[in-house]
Amino acid sequence: MGRIGRWFDERLQLSSLFSSFVDRKVPGNIGWFQTLGSATLFLLVVQIVTGIALTLSYAPTPSDAYQSVLYIDSTPFGALVRGIHHWSAGLLVLFIGLHTLRVFIWGAHRYPRELTWVIGALLFLIVLGFAFTGYLLPWDQKAYWATVVGTNIAGAAPFIGDSVLALLRGGEQLGATTLARFYGIHVWVLPASLLILVGIHLFAVIRQGIAASPRRKPIVAPAPGLSRREAYEREYAAEKTAGKPFWHALIKDGIVAVILLVVIFALALGPGAPLDARADPNSTNFVPRPEWYFLDLFQLLWYFTGDQEPLLIFLVFTVAAAIFVLVPFLDRGSARHPLRRPFAMAFTGAVVLGVVGLTYLGATATPAGQVNVPATAGMTSTQLSGLGVYNSSGCTSCHQIHGLGGHTGPDLSKAGFRWEAADIKQQLVTPKDAKMPSYSGLSGQQLSDLLEYLTGLK
Amino acid sequence: MSENDPTGPVAAGGELSRRRFVLRSLATLGGAIAAALGLPVLAFGSAHAWQWTEEAPAELIETSVPPTLQSDAQTPVGKLLDFEVGIPRYVVVDRPVVDGWVRADAPIGVYVVRKSDTEAVVFDPHCTHLGCPLAATPGSNAFVCPCHGGSFDTNGDVTSGPPPHPMFRYEVRIDGGDVVIGALQSEV
Repeated sequence: MGRIGRWFDERLQLSSLFSSFVDRKVPGNIGWFQTLGSATLFLLVVQIVTGIALTLSYAPTPSDAYQSVLYIDSTPFGALVRGIHHWSAGLLVLFIGLHTLRVFIWGAHRYPRELTWVIGALLFLIVLGFAFTGYLLPWDQKAYWATVVGTNIAGAAPFIGDSVLALLRGGEQLGATTLARFYGIHVWVLPASLLILVGIHLFAVIRQGIAASPRRKPIVAPAPGLSRREAYEREYAAEKTAGKPFWHALIKDGIVAVILLVVIFALALGPGAPLDARADPNSTNFVPRPEWYFLDLFQLLWYFTGDQEPLLIFLVFTVAAAIFVLVPFLDRGSARHPLRRPFAMAFTGAVVLGVVGLTYLGATATPAGQVNVPATAGMTSTQLSGLGVYNSSGCTSCHQIHGLGGHTGPDLSKAGFRWEAADIKQQLVTPKDAKMPSYSGLSGQQLSDLLEYLTGLK
Repeated sequence: MSENDPTGPVAAGGELSRRRFVLRSLATLGGAIAAALGLPVLAFGSAHAWQWTEEAPAELIETSVPPTLQSDAQTPVGKLLDFEVGIPRYVVVDRPVVDGWVRADAPIGVYVVRKSDTEAVVFDPHCTHLGCPLAATPGSNAFVCPCHGGSFDTNGDVTSGPPPHPMFRYEVRIDGGDVVIGALQSEV
């Protein structure tokens, strides 16, 4: 330590604190997977730094927000800072998800780290809150419509839906009050909650020590007659004895941070942060699609209709969030190794498959109303008008013909070959399948034209 | 706190009970200060959830699904006879709206469907499911939602998909050949 360093240290007494932090022993078998947590922390810092910079030139009112974002993009380094904020946000959602997954698979949420999990799960929800509120701020088309849909999803909750929606929007309508509110939540309420919880989370991680990777055979032979606390302390002490100083692990954390920063800069300088046309509440041809991390939930809404929807909102958003936060009290037991927790691993696999699958379906879904099945040569005029009915009645939302349309219902490319006209008619007017809506509202002429068209598909 | 409390000062009964009294009083005071500040802050922050639209007229729509800025002004949207019977047409008109602290004439889009020589219905152009924008493609007689495949006929009734209600309508009257809209209605 140089003279200046000593001057400060004599006044602040930091070196002993610093040494006890970086020289403390951690289990020897922690490796690359344990960098996910520090990567998440790194991305949070990136978000805070760039976010603060963005507030210097941003105005949270509908009349000015979009212009101020254009202004940011035209200011030197503005587009870069906004690009970093945008891409780092997406990576943050990804990495906090991977970090959570890693902790669960490693069984690191178990005694004595239950509270660390609970705080971490709350942090995950806060990050999603950041994503949802930050999304609206540019006041472009994508922002506006994603917020219309998002707030309405919350508003569909049973009993409290209306109040939740008014709380989110700052009234019943989506406008000036909504934007001011989302901004305030995004830059004050959530960051304050985040900093407090991150503080507790990190404090717990340092006080408890990093969990050792689970072993199939314990590092010390179990001794009978010990309490849970004693047995844990004995085992963790053995892990630390065989362990390494924390600064060894920091090497990997540093490498991951540098890689992430390079990726973020590449994305910010390459594609940059997108900006749609200015929000237009009166556009009728915009196709609302959320950012990728909400696509799974958006896609899920296909499968629940009408009366079931409040139930879905309640189940997915409330019960699932509660289960997620309370995982350490539901997944108990002493075995931490994934191979000894087959049920928990099967459940994890199912959740991951579900999220990835729904995201994929959501990303590739054809927007209804945007597809028109074209006419083919040799069609009669009746069939042509039937095709008009088909295209305009929302059939393409769920059915494919020659590769165009949705996937929810059966492919109709060979409808006339597969089904009798009477069966098709029955399915249209009084469907047996609950997912198929009744088209009894079509006029007799429309119905017969449509049937003529469908039975002609062979 | 027991007298054997290792974290407390070693003191005889009088000093200890004074310490306890002071600490408890301070904790109570802290709670009172937090409540005095916190209650108005929370009440202000959540006012919209328990105090419904102080500015908005009573007749306005009860559901909040459509994001449309609302108005109870009487606004002409066009001559009835200029619309084709049964064919929806999209019209954007300026209406006086209250949006938080903003009072302005804002462009509001509506679908007008003429029913006969004396009657027309005017719809809000948002899906009743989650508020996505409804498209009426040229030549079609349906409103289709690009989000989850909801569709409606020209009466505003649901023909497919998840929407739980028919399309939202405006109050309509015909005045001197003009189609004039009033407030948006929750129920048809």
